[in-house]
Amino acid sequence: MPVKILSVDDSKTIRLIVKRAFAPFDCTVCEATNGEEGLAVAASEKPELIILDITMPVMDGVTMLTKLKESAELKHIPVIMLTAESGRENVAYIAKLGVRDYLVKPFQDSQLIEKVKRVVALQPKAEVAA
Amino acid sequence: MNPSTFTFNTAEHITFIAPNVFDTMLGLAVVTASPGAFPGERVSGAVGIAGERVNGTVYLHLPEPLAQETARAMLQIQPDQVPGDSDVHDVVGELANMIGGALKSLLCDADIYCAISTPSVIRGAFAVEAPPGVRAEMFYFTCLGQRLAVEVHLQIN
Repeated sequence: MPVKILSVDDSKTIRLIVKRAFAPFDCTVCEATNGEEGLAVAASEKPELIILDITMPVMDGVTMLTKLKESAELKHIPVIMLTAESGRENVAYIAKLGVRDYLVKPFQDSQLIEKVKRVVALQPKAEVAA
Repeated sequence: MNPSTFTFNTAEHITFIAPNVFDTMLGLAVVTASPGAFPGERVSGAVGIAGERVNGTVYLHLPEPLAQETARAMLQIQPDQVPGDSDVHDVVGELANMIGGALKSLLCDADIYCAISTPSVIRGAFAVEAPPGVRAEMFYFTCLGQRLAVEVHLQIN
């Protein structure tokens, strides 16, 4: 069964980079462009992991994270923040809300994959096919 | 912190942040350049910074050909294909967001708490005028043989 990852970012570029990073693995990446959409996709798709930006229109990542953690149905889904914002207080505040990890943009694919591998078991596609 | 004695060294930060963003995301070398003429037609990403003690804007100015090259590199578009305007806008906006976000983080670490806006992107030949009382600084770089600039308007109280 492929791992399902939800990428929530208002930048199409970042969603594409995330999707590309996980292309070699047995996983599917679904997308949302803001926190409100992210909550809806999380509820319908039940991903094993959410990769979440902070600054987004409509609903930002911190609000989405807060609502996610208030939901009995969704609060167990681990979240990795992927954001350009890294101030100490900011990271500490978000950590308190309950994120599994935090990756600061700019980032390399390998850093993202490493962090995701700590949360979900990623299998290379070739191994699954064999 | 005493505002009268606090100085935020924007130059030091931007000369590290901008090359780091381009190198990490695109594998492109960005080198500090001397001030000088900047090509008129450009694609500019802008990110606003606002807080109790600070407000301002960070701009990333790229000449059109370099904006297309960065979009091609970031989205891995084939050399014979031309990236669409929306792709170029999204890439330039995201690069500006990363530069602005890094600056915002450094301001917050200096106890100047603030938030950033989502990026906006504008195209054309223009000069940005800073409002009165706002410190405007322009930092020049070269990448792939073309000039680019990061312009920072900051008012710290």
